Amino acid sequence: MKLTRHLPSFDLGRVADFDQWLRHPFAGFPAVGQLLGEFMPGVVNRLSADVFEDKDNYYARFELPGTKKEDVKVEIHDRLLTVSVARSEKTEADEESFTLARSISVPEGVRGDAIAAKLEDGILTVTLPKQEHRKPKLIEIT
Amino acid sequence: MNTETTCCPPPASKSAAPSVGVTESLQKPRYDVVGSADAYEVRVEMPGVAKGDVKIDLDENILSIRGERHSKLPEDWKPLHRELSQVGYQLRLRLNTPVDRDKLTASLENGVLTLKLPVQETAKPRRIEVQ
Repeated sequence: MKLTRHLPSFDLGRVADFDQWLRHPFAGFPAVGQLLGEFMPGVVNRLSADVFEDKDNYYARFELPGTKKEDVKVEIHDRLLTVSVARSEKTEADEESFTLARSISVPEGVRGDAIAAKLEDGILTVTLPKQEHRKPKLIEIT
Repeated sequence: MNTETTCCPPPASKSAAPSVGVTESLQKPRYDVVGSADAYEVRVEMPGVAKGDVKIDLDENILSIRGERHSKLPEDWKPLHRELSQVGYQLRLRLNTPVDRDKLTASLENGVLTLKLPVQETAKPRRIEVQ
């Protein structure tokens, strides 16, 4: 018998950064989270997120149905992007208020001052511009 | 008060021939219903659906709501992590109270569809005076 060390087969290179994008206990298992949501609607925090990148930006998308622009707060602090929603609904019969939040850690090299967010059809898209690549610098010998 | 209950899938014969074999992925959206003596209000969460992409049908007593998502994600966006579903929404509700179909109104705002279904005059509660 031969013992072999088990190595995870997926590429951890860039993705490793994004393991921390997700602080939710089910983060790594979106399918499980979704399943739970189906069985117990309302129990699972519904602030689910998508992350994309292209050559200039990272994009994070959040589902926020029924939320007005004024009720959303997007913050960046110490490479941690936090989206929070505070909403209160008042009808004649009852009143409800709640807050939802999701934090995502942002990879290095994002320009914190140039982050933009847009809310459309209940989906919030946060654009995180990447820093210009640092060019290799040639040092002249004098 | 729960006037609407989720209803059965649509009869297969009505749509395209079964031999075509086209399957569609749809999800049931979250919704709630608030009722009063005059009207029912149905709120359906459909994030990602634009105004023109909602179809509402009232056939007999079955209310069908469908929302298509036309994903406008640029092609060069490389997904790094995905949780948001990309499939469309379908909800079918059976109404047990006659509603005034001509006065049905719907509005979509911030990804939430709000339907107002006024109860038909004949179905409203009446007080009968004792002579």
